Amino acid sequence: MITVDFTVNGERVKLDVSESARLVDLLRETLGLTGTKEGCAVGECGACTVIVNGKAVCSCITLAAGLNGANVITIEGVSKNGELDDIQQAILDHHALQCGFCTPGIVMSAKALLDANPNPTTEEIQQAIAGNLCRCTGYQQVIDAIADAAERRAVQE
Amino acid sequence: MHQLQYACPTTLNECLLLMKEAGAEAMPYAGGTDVMIHLRERASCVQNIRLLVDLAKLEPLHGIRLENGMIHLGAMTTHAEAAASVLLHEHAPFLAAAAATVGSQQIRNTGTIGGNVCNGSPAADTASPLTALYAEAVVASASGTRNVPVPKLYGRNGVELAPGELVTEFVFPSFAGWKTSFIKLGRRKALAISRMNVAAALELQDDGTISSARIAPGCVFRSPDRVHEAEELLIGKAPSRALFAEAGQLSSEEMIRRTGVRWSTAYKQPVLEALVERALLQAAGLPLEE
Ligand SMILES: Cc1cc2nc3c(=O)[nH]c(=O)nc-3n(C[C@H](O)[C@H](O)[C@H](O)COP(=O)(O)OP(=O)(O)OC[C@H]3O[C@@H](n4cnc5c(N)ncnc54)[C@H](O)[C@@H]3O)c2cc1C
Ligand code: FES
Ligand code: FES
Repeated sequence: MITVDFTVNGERVKLDVSESARLVDLLRETLGLTGTKEGCAVGECGACTVIVNGKAVCSCITLAAGLNGANVITIEGVSKNGELDDIQQAILDHHALQCGFCTPGIVMSAKALLDANPNPTTEEIQQAIAGNLCRCTGYQQVIDAIADAAERRAVQE
Repeated sequence: MHQLQYACPTTLNECLLLMKEAGAEAMPYAGGTDVMIHLRERASCVQNIRLLVDLAKLEPLHGIRLENGMIHLGAMTTHAEAAASVLLHEHAPFLAAAAATVGSQQIRNTGTIGGNVCNGSPAADTASPLTALYAEAVVASASGTRNVPVPKLYGRNGVELAPGELVTEFVFPSFAGWKTSFIKLGRRKALAISRMNVAAALELQDDGTISSARIAPGCVFRSPDRVHEAEELLIGKAPSRALFAEAGQLSSEEMIRRTGVRWSTAYKQPVLEALVERALLQAAGLPLEE
């Protein structure tokens, strides 16, 4: 076992983890944050996407032991005071989800994009979610929703 | 599998001593995008590993800098960092372009160029531009450092570093002023033969003729390498579709000469010819379609 000391959704967490533990297991099993989904387990589908130090990563291929000092944001850390954030609301408004399995990952990829690049082109949006597979929507609604969320954010500022 | 240990050394010295002590039982851990999957699949390359040595905190392995006309690219540079690097866009644009095609945003955010090369897959996308750039890997161990040209890192079973060895950086001359391109085919999970890529670089004289050329196809030879005859064909000539088509043919002839005719040749030959032609057209700024 090894101790990791890091931040999850703004709260400091200090835990003993197995040396080979993956971040997705630590989130789902140890911390009970089951919003992060596991699909393929090999970095292909993006269902397990979380934000580590501002960057979208696949938590299924992230070693928990390496997270000392890291700042992790999961889907549970996106809404504020029970209110959906702009990306989540736009996804609802654009009917950009059906079964919803891919949605937490897509929200995290979109958030990482918009936090770094508030005014992305359609191509940049496509790039940002190219690692998030969705079997239901066909992506167009998702892209529209993210573009709309960018606009909503800009209007609020 | 053995119980794994994990270490995250903060200085290169500490790291190299650790690796020396653990010998063949130690495995460097960069972004983990290959290692985590090998661990999950209990692949043979991780069977005897007892210690993961996380390279994240090693300062000398990070960053890209220009020094005396040479680019020093830290092994821990992520694909996302390389793709966005202003320095690379000026001095080795096709390397930035190759990094931008790797996996997805999530993979580019964690996967590194050092890991891409050291994983030893013939389909490693950044290995082709590094080969075209004559890049050398700086290989460090507790007993010193050696510089190894990227293609020479490869042995029979992919990249063969000795126990205790680590790649700290890649060093290559600036290609500012060259016209470069990188194109690739296919997706990762598809058959290996459909993962071919080509990195090309052309240096043009004032009269428009080609003075130097580099063509490095990936996933064609056992290890990344250049196609010399095709390169030589171009010297002193003006860029044209016919010339580049001929370079494509010479490339596939060289492939057959070096790897023999295999079941995959019927597929690879026309694809390599087309990829080489297109890479050269793109580098020279000629339209891809007639
Ligand atoms: C979904 C997915 C898509 C992918 N798509 C692509 C693609 O399009 N193109 C492509 O080329 N690759 C692709 N890959 C493969 C992989 O992401 C890349 O090879 C990546 O660059 C590996 O880097 P890493 O830092 O994650 O390496 P790691 O997994 O950390 O390491 C890989 C190997 O290299 C060794 N190593 C790492 N750094 C060093 C060093 N400095 N010195 C010595 N040894 C070292 C490790 O010990 C290990 O054996 C993909 C992977 C996934 C999961
Ligand atoms: S579960 Fe992590 S990418 Fe699919
Ligand atoms: S909504 Fe079902 S997978 Fe995307």
